[in-house]
Amino acid sequence: MSDGDELIVPPDVVYITFIRATPLMIWDALTKSEFTKQFFFGRTVESDWKQGSKWRLVMPDGKTDVAGEVLISDPPRKLQVTWVVEWLDDAPKDPAIITYEIEQIGDLSKLTMTQHTDAKIPRKFLEGGRQGWAAILSSLKSLLETGEALTIKMNPPE
Amino acid sequence: MTKNQTQFVYVSYIRTTPDKLWAALTQPEFTRQYWFGVSMKSDWKAGSSWEMMYDDGRVMDAGEIVEADPPRRMVIKWRNEWKPEFKAEGYSRCTMELEQVDGAVKLSLTHVMDVADSKFITEGVSNGWPKILSNLKSFLETGAIATANKS
Repeated sequence: MSDGDELIVPPDVVYITFIRATPLMIWDALTKSEFTKQFFFGRTVESDWKQGSKWRLVMPDGKTDVAGEVLISDPPRKLQVTWVVEWLDDAPKDPAIITYEIEQIGDLSKLTMTQHTDAKIPRKFLEGGRQGWAAILSSLKSLLETGEALTIKMNPPE
Repeated sequence: MTKNQTQFVYVSYIRTTPDKLWAALTQPEFTRQYWFGVSMKSDWKAGSSWEMMYDDGRVMDAGEIVEADPPRRMVIKWRNEWKPEFKAEGYSRCTMELEQVDGAVKLSLTHVMDVADSKFITEGVSNGWPKILSNLKSFLETGAIATANKS
């Protein structure tokens, strides 16, 4: 067993970024496919984003990447969803909880993403989550500020 | 990370080159613009002194360059000089690594203090870095900073 397979209850992953955009622009970018397919590794999203509704993150080939349920929907301030990775066979089956909080500060917005997990997961998925969120939310910021997302390729955790 | 350590980690992907990012992190003409008016005083060689100061001469942080491998990696021995409870914790270590990844440069920052529940890390550094590095990314990608408001 490699170190990456060790089961741990992970600390929350928190990523904060300040974006020169309105909260509504950030909300739309997180919840509409025309934006997510640019900054979220080509993924689209499906949901009506109402509390209790299902949501899906869909890969370019139509397969489900992540599925879950909307726990809190308070546009454009707070979105909380459950998050179960479906495209990797060995991914944790217990849902993580992802919370986006968006706060306007003058002419910019503070976006705080928190990934919370209660269950034990293999250590490698924690590092994957940290690296992945940094890439995704860096690309989101570039998209909203420059009109162009970043081109970063990522591989699943090894 | 051990029990008697407090750590802050931040990763940002920036559309730039490692050379430009290194220059933005080290040269006063750039840091003044996105880092709320501070400049760095150092020759950026291992063993050299390092100071972060305002133009009026107030020194905010000071220490020593532990490693410098432009434009890939730097390690700074870093102590806060303006807040007594931060300064009392002694020296922290800030490591920055720059790596070209496809169309962006990945900047990985780790700031560690060998103190359990370090106030400098949890109250100072953890609030400061996301704002500074968000500003740096905007500055390099758009030529303008995201915010001039430090607090």
